[in-house]
Amino acid sequence: MNPTAHRPGGAALPEKADSRRRLVVVTGTAGLVAGALGLLGALARSVVPDVLYEPPRRFPVGRPQDFPPASVTLVAERRVFVFNTPEGFYAISAVCTHLGCNVNHEEGKGFACPCHGSAFGEDGGVRKGPAAWPLPRFAMSLSRRGELIVDARRTVGPSFRLKA
Amino acid sequence: MTGDIPRRLWRSVFRVGWPRTREARLRAMLSSLVLHVHPTRVRAHVLRPSYTLGLGLVSFYLFVVLTVTGLALMLYYVPHPDKAYRSMKDIEYAVTFGMFLRNAHRWAAHGMVAVVFLHMCRVFFTGAYKPPRELNWAVGVLLLLLTLALSFTGYLLPWDQLAYWAITVGTAIVAYFPGLGPQVRYLLLGGYEIGAAALLRFYVLHCLVLPLAMALLVALHFWRVRKDGGLSAPPERLHRRVLAWPHLVFRELLVLVLVLVAVHAAALLFNAPLEEIADATRTPNPAKAPWYFLGLQELVHYGAILGGVVVPTGLVLALLALPYVDTHPRGVGVWFARERRTANAVFAVVALAVVAVTVVGTFFRGPNWAWVWPW
Repeated sequence: MNPTAHRPGGAALPEKADSRRRLVVVTGTAGLVAGALGLLGALARSVVPDVLYEPPRRFPVGRPQDFPPASVTLVAERRVFVFNTPEGFYAISAVCTHLGCNVNHEEGKGFACPCHGSAFGEDGGVRKGPAAWPLPRFAMSLSRRGELIVDARRTVGPSFRLKA
Repeated sequence: MTGDIPRRLWRSVFRVGWPRTREARLRAMLSSLVLHVHPTRVRAHVLRPSYTLGLGLVSFYLFVVLTVTGLALMLYYVPHPDKAYRSMKDIEYAVTFGMFLRNAHRWAAHGMVAVVFLHMCRVFFTGAYKPPRELNWAVGVLLLLLTLALSFTGYLLPWDQLAYWAITVGTAIVAYFPGLGPQVRYLLLGGYEIGAAALLRFYVLHCLVLPLAMALLVALHFWRVRKDGGLSAPPERLHRRVLAWPHLVFRELLVLVLVLVAVHAAALLFNAPLEEIADATRTPNPAKAPWYFLGLQELVHYGAILGGVVVPTGLVLALLALPYVDTHPRGVGVWFARERRTANAVFAVVALAVVAVTVVGTFFRGPNWAWVWPW
């Protein structure tokens, strides 16, 4: 549409007024977009939490002597199994990789999920679906105070053992 | 003069008296904020209960019932893991009519999921999504998704075992979506676990964000009905119209009465479930998502990508694309038109499959997701 069409009297705008109008339209549009993006961007970023008020994902589970030799212990509130073997410690997640239920351990048979019937071997590998992935193993370390630490942020391979 | 004031007050609110003449009935529809949503005259065809079954209207009434009962529950419910469950017990046992209001909210919510689905089926089987109603069909699909989202976010709030594990399973299905899934779950929960942040987020979504979006889209949905010339009808019946007052207005009131009676009956006869308090260390067996997602859970049982991604995304995209693909103008305005045999058959098979997997997941799956008989 011709921007001069609505001018009363129908007279064409002087060239100067025309460029002024363009400046107002351009800066106005830019301001509107920037203003909206500022608020919406801040909103979008703020919903991604930076600090989590939930149990830390790297946590102590007890002292090595709390775990009997050749045993499997469920640390229920952390949803993790701690294995004590002659070669050392390792930790396997107790959260089913299918839909997040807690699996049960049966000595020598492995893990079974009560929700949808997934079964995992003693090593955490999938024996029976519907789970598609093995139970992850978490990195372990020894704190300076001599406590076993499980780091659920870091998964490790099946050969991982912590000598303690 | 002062004796005149009550009458003036009355006349300032109700500009037209009880309309008795044809002209007054036309004016009545235009002079009221509520009534002017309607046209002054409507197609006689769409007033037959057997055509629409009143399903869209029932969905809307249930949404109103949910808003009112939800507001009452908000006065006592506290969205924090330490207090949520106890405030639920308070609502049930320490608030007069609290149990009744909670029951009404719960059953109206379940009812709304079912009725919105049936409304979609009605619109399909009568070909009512065809041009010029493509956009309104798409808006309707979004309203169905919003209804599911509202129901799902409300499901966590009681903070009992049923709620906790249903949301565990439900958000785990979300995480199966390749690429974005885990991030969406993290955003939804405000972390990695279902805790205080997740409960607050679900609460805000459930009480504010989603109802607001719903109200806006419902307004758009109604407005489009008017702009598309009213509800669909076959070409030969397009022009026979009757006055909206009384023919439409009193039919709508009758449906409202029926909905209110049904909600009262359900809320008085059946109590909404409330199990033990949520416990992250103890998984019930079986752990089930809310019933309207049990079809998905049944499919996820066969394959995560199939059930969690391919089928739901495919269904939603197919629904959204439908009116832009199928523009054949024949067979609008009647149930199961002969010209639409193929389309109706395909839709019926898909809809029945959705119902079937949902029924299987709800009634035929027991501990360890093994087959059980429901009786």
